[in-house]
Amino acid sequence: MDSTATRTVTFVYNYKDHENKDCLAQLDIKLPFDQENLEECLTQLLNQMDPMMRYLDENINLESKLQEFVDTEHQKFLDDYAEKLITQAANEEIDVEAIVRNTERLYKDELLQFADRVGPRDEDIFAQSFHRLVHSSSLEEILKRERAYAKVIAGMTEHMDSEVETLNTSQQQEMDSQINQLDITTTSEDINNLLAQQYTTQNFVRKRYESELEAKMGHQKNEYRDWITSQVSQMFQVSPVATPLGNRSSMFVSQQPSMEESFTIHLGSQLKHMHNIRILSANVTELCSPLHAEESLNGLNMALGLYSSSLCGVVVLTPSIQAEANKNIIKNANRSTEFHFEQMDVQLEKIEKQIRSLSTTDSSSTPSTASSNSSAEGSVTPSPTKKHVPRLKTGDFFITKHSNLSQSHVIFHLISDEPINSPSEINSRHPVILGLRNILKTASRHDITTLTIPALLRHEMSEDMTVQWCIRRAELVFKCAKGFMIESASWGGAELSTLQLLLPDDISESLFTTLAGMVPSVFHVANPKILVDTSK
Amino acid sequence: MNTIGGFRSYCESRGRMSGVATPTAVRSADRTLFPNNCCCRCRLKIEPTNTVREKERERKEGTRFLSAIHLPTPSSMAIKPETRLCAVTFFAKLHPGDVCGSNGLPLTPNSIAILGRAQRLKEVQDEHLCQYLDVIRGKHERTIVVSEYVGCSLEEHVKRNPPLSLAQILRIFYQVACGINVLSQHYLVAHNLEPKNILIGPDGRLKLFNYGLYFMTKGGAYVPFPVGNIRYMAPERLLGLNGNVKSDVWALAMLLVELVLDLQLWPKLKISNVVRKILAFARSNNVLEKIAREHQCFEAYQTMDAELRQLLEKCLHASPGQRPLPRELLAHKCFADILQADREQEREKAKEDESKQQLKSHLPPLPLLLRCPLSQIYHLWQLAGGDVQAELKKEGLIRSEAPILGLPQIVRLNGASVCPTRSQSHLMDDRVVPLKMHALLQRLSQLPASVYFPLLHSPRFSSQHQRFVLELQLLPLVIRERDIEYQFHRVRLFARLLQAYPYTAELLQREAAIDIPPLLRGAVWAALLEVVPNSGYGKIDKFTPTYTDRQIEVDIPRCHQYDELLSSPDGHRKLRRLLKAWVTAHPQYVYWQGLDSLTAPFLYLNFNNEGFSLTELAFLSLFRFIPKYLHWFFLKDNSAIIKEYLSKFSQLTSYHEPLLAQHLSSISFIPELFAIPWFLTMFSHVFPLHKILHLWDKLMLGDSSYPLFIGIAILRQLRSTLLDSGFNECILLFSDLPDIVMEACVIESQKMYEATPKSITHRQHALRSQPPQSLDIGLTDVELKHLQLEQCPRISAKDVQYLLLHSPSDLALIDLRSVVDYGHVHVPHSINIPFATVQLGEQRLEALNVPQLEAQLRGRIVVCVSNIHQNAVEFSNFLVACGVQRTCILHKGFNVLHSIEPNILISN
Repeated sequence: MDSTATRTVTFVYNYKDHENKDCLAQLDIKLPFDQENLEECLTQLLNQMDPMMRYLDENINLESKLQEFVDTEHQKFLDDYAEKLITQAANEEIDVEAIVRNTERLYKDELLQFADRVGPRDEDIFAQSFHRLVHSSSLEEILKRERAYAKVIAGMTEHMDSEVETLNTSQQQEMDSQINQLDITTTSEDINNLLAQQYTTQNFVRKRYESELEAKMGHQKNEYRDWITSQVSQMFQVSPVATPLGNRSSMFVSQQPSMEESFTIHLGSQLKHMHNIRILSANVTELCSPLHAEESLNGLNMALGLYSSSLCGVVVLTPSIQAEANKNIIKNANRSTEFHFEQMDVQLEKIEKQIRSLSTTDSSSTPSTASSNSSAEGSVTPSPTKKHVPRLKTGDFFITKHSNLSQSHVIFHLISDEPINSPSEINSRHPVILGLRNILKTASRHDITTLTIPALLRHEMSEDMTVQWCIRRAELVFKCAKGFMIESASWGGAELSTLQLLLPDDISESLFTTLAGMVPSVFHVANPKILVDTSK
Repeated sequence: MNTIGGFRSYCESRGRMSGVATPTAVRSADRTLFPNNCCCRCRLKIEPTNTVREKERERKEGTRFLSAIHLPTPSSMAIKPETRLCAVTFFAKLHPGDVCGSNGLPLTPNSIAILGRAQRLKEVQDEHLCQYLDVIRGKHERTIVVSEYVGCSLEEHVKRNPPLSLAQILRIFYQVACGINVLSQHYLVAHNLEPKNILIGPDGRLKLFNYGLYFMTKGGAYVPFPVGNIRYMAPERLLGLNGNVKSDVWALAMLLVELVLDLQLWPKLKISNVVRKILAFARSNNVLEKIAREHQCFEAYQTMDAELRQLLEKCLHASPGQRPLPRELLAHKCFADILQADREQEREKAKEDESKQQLKSHLPPLPLLLRCPLSQIYHLWQLAGGDVQAELKKEGLIRSEAPILGLPQIVRLNGASVCPTRSQSHLMDDRVVPLKMHALLQRLSQLPASVYFPLLHSPRFSSQHQRFVLELQLLPLVIRERDIEYQFHRVRLFARLLQAYPYTAELLQREAAIDIPPLLRGAVWAALLEVVPNSGYGKIDKFTPTYTDRQIEVDIPRCHQYDELLSSPDGHRKLRRLLKAWVTAHPQYVYWQGLDSLTAPFLYLNFNNEGFSLTELAFLSLFRFIPKYLHWFFLKDNSAIIKEYLSKFSQLTSYHEPLLAQHLSSISFIPELFAIPWFLTMFSHVFPLHKILHLWDKLMLGDSSYPLFIGIAILRQLRSTLLDSGFNECILLFSDLPDIVMEACVIESQKMYEATPKSITHRQHALRSQPPQSLDIGLTDVELKHLQLEQCPRISAKDVQYLLLHSPSDLALIDLRSVVDYGHVHVPHSINIPFATVQLGEQRLEALNVPQLEAQLRGRIVVCVSNIHQNAVEFSNFLVACGVQRTCILHKGFNVLHSIEPNILISN
């Protein structure tokens, strides 16, 4: 209801008190009236009276009188207000067309009955088919096929790499010999020409391979998806077979991070939710290594989980330069065809485009982001006078989806501009921490139940990261993560079952032990439940 | 024949049995839906020859027969009479971005707010409204509403029986107006009236359906979609003014126009044009005429019954001020004829009732279950394996989509995100899914009528089925609570007991000792606490600001917030009112932190009875609960009370767990460090609600000493850990209490409670119903300093006398007087250990040199008796150190035994 439209009326109550004197109580009542406030108004009126009146049950009569008064006044108010609106509409003082537009949009956008029916999207259908197939006896065949495809791509990439390498060396030699001859037989102009020529050749070779790769990948993707669809339709004809359960060992991650420790914790003050916490030191790219590279059986795990409601996610920190992901991860993702989503480069390209359109629309309308940037070493505050360079800021993140990486379906690329060599102090209101909270929130909303976060908000150790600093930083991240996890219970989404705290792989063993030792003190580690035989 | 007569009287009296809150709705449904005599039904049920198949066939025939009787046309047969429950679902609106409430705490999800608001709708019961039964919160803000469902919708009805006669239309008009009127009496508006939301039962009675959507979503603020069908929407609603009951009158008139003129409003128009049309009515003087002209039925308009036309024109007046209110509508003269006709019919029916009943005696019965209150049916349906979410999934209303496909691409710090286009599965789909009751009916069809309508005072009728119940009572509580047949027994029994309360208080107490059915727990607890509603709650000032408001405001958003009801805005509001009311009602007390936790279980169980209605169970339960268990605990200076309580707790720990007590005191881990929140909140601060409920089930049956035993049971469960721990470990352990097995805890505490003589738990500050007698421990006999000095509790002479007379095998009396005194006069079978002769340096029983002393003491209550109190204290301490259980000291020493009459002493 329009908040400007209110009215105040005065309720006057005449009564006789215990000495039979005429008295009156009155109260201003605001319209529109909320029935829930009736008791409060009643109390206020009663408080104007002698306390004796409560015991004389005056409240009963008062309540009915007040109720009656409020009912009529409220109805009158609504009617009058409606009258005003109707007259305005009749006199065309109201923008009727705007109402028409808004109403239509609301009905069309939100009610299935009126929405333009669109069938399920292709990716939905494929997702369902794949999920079905992967949970059938065809699982092994799928994996075999994927591995074979991956081998081809990996071979091609290797080939390209080696060819580029040879070209590089030969060009280098050529260049060296030219430079040696400088001012003897060649001029600087010649060298420049050569450089340009070499560059073109190299570019050409690379482009050729890349287009070849792209074509191959497209081809593979089509073939693969066709095959999956055909398999599903076949499956409908033959009786379905349950998922083969046997290779239990394959469910476990075969990669071995250098150091690792696991805890089971309980969060919540009365009702306790159980979570797993694993602290480990590893290079973040190890968590995003190519799925089919070695003979690991993790492919099974990832394929089964891909369209399920227990996804795995990894948080990777990235500087705010465009939408740029970790180079090694891109490389890993390109080692095989992405059958389910777009190739990572394409995803990134699209995201960049989104950022550009985003920046033009919200550059003026986000005071909240601008203010939060004032912290220690946040990104460059965009100044409106300069040419606006669209970019994400510290605490924002973008998401890429993967089916061909070893331990993550989803990568959260969290923007953090902390300079590598000067570790700074941050507090719990720092944008990166808030970004982390947004990530947990997104994870909860989209059924990501295993999440890896960088526990120091750094992927590499540096000279300046003292033990004290690491402890402070880890404590902050642990505590914030704990707070967010407790909060997440009320978000109504998927519960985070495992939180992995990632430490840099070059961390010292003693520091790792120290930080791992902090986990049980920050998170309440579940007490062992000891069942005692009470019958004795 | 005797039996049948008995049943008949029960069946007839079932109006009273159907639950305190539901008499009108169910009784009226009963009258119209089951016109056949109940006693014949009972007879059929009792007949043992009926096989299952026969019954099945009978039921089917019954269906056909019923519909043939009641429905105007037999074509509307598709609806089975047993379709009584249904579900609708929608998504609540997500909070945009990242926002905090005014108190700095994160916002409550809208689905929780809806859940809290919808509770009030459960209380709205009327013959013209479908009862609301449950609101379920799914994952990702999905909200599912379960409500009553009858017959078919008006939309279908019209399709099957075109065209309706004028009398039929008027009946529809009248009944829907009745529904709106009842809603407005409850300060509700439907705002989504349309043929789909009006149901016609097999008896021709109309019920409004889904009328609470507007209310529970706070006028649509909690959901992304608009509430109400655009075609029936009044112009002022389109202009942004909601909440006027006269908008419902408009909608009703619009849908009647459709019926009267036999048309469909703007069947092919786009929404935008419909909106334009409706807004154009603002300029029109006669909306009805305009509609008729637009739909080429001007002739029908002119030939329409004049009175009805006038009424409709009035209802369709552009400005709501001119439209009649629902109650004015009902008084309109055009309904006079049909009302007259109905009344006559009724009278005729009543006249020929007796003879008709005779005629129809061959009618097969309707399942007895359907005569139980719907809330019970729904509860049983769930126990029978009913899963609303699964039913919705089956109907395709909950579609599972791969979550990875819906991930956003970019999320900004402020929460703004770039998402892929929303899939249509998140749109509002207003389909109604019936919940199949076949399995439930099947499951309970074998039960005899005596289980449906248990006889309370005639044990001879409780036959072999009683045995089944008794057998089940051996199983763990959690299993019993999930067993449908058992719960059915219990629910029916308790429902009857509650109706007869307070006359059945004793019986109720006895049954509650076995277990309490979760469905009726709130009312049963209130009965156990001897609550008698007196509408005093309404008089208490709950609004005037007091100095405790700030603390209450801080505590409420931290009180059992994992629970959806208690974390909803309505839950917060109610809890605040309850707390403020309690504080106002007890000027001698103050608000101590913990009162919130203490109140939470009562609010949780009596969410609707907090105070809006006259029953006000939550407040009165709390009102009775606190003096019973926490007398004086909420004084401004409660240190004396708490100190006494904790000292008694230490003593009782020594009494039941001497070694553990010894260990804890040796590491100075005193109860002050951990037990205050336990007792101040009766454990409601340390356990989640579902555990508290089971704990309090038993607590309610015990007296004020019971909580002490719960405390000991918890210690006992952690015994081995505690014995191995030092001070720091203990502090850590209790700062986050590990998972306690509640059932074991309950059983243990009950055992101890029963095995401990009452005087052992004597506290000066406990609430007493009777003044102490000469052999009891006197009111001020034992002071705090005594308690703190003595490791062992004192026992009264009265309890010793009782034990001597009734169970001497449970008693071991150690006489510490000299051999001479003992020889002079002593208690039979007492053990004489002269205090002067013993060496207490070595903490071994063997050091006393009494043959087989340990065997004589084991499993008994060991009472140390002496003439010199200090001796008894020292000796009892020695026994505790030796690990002797159940050591206590005779209060007032040996001499008090002389005064017992008849004499219990042997003198030489």
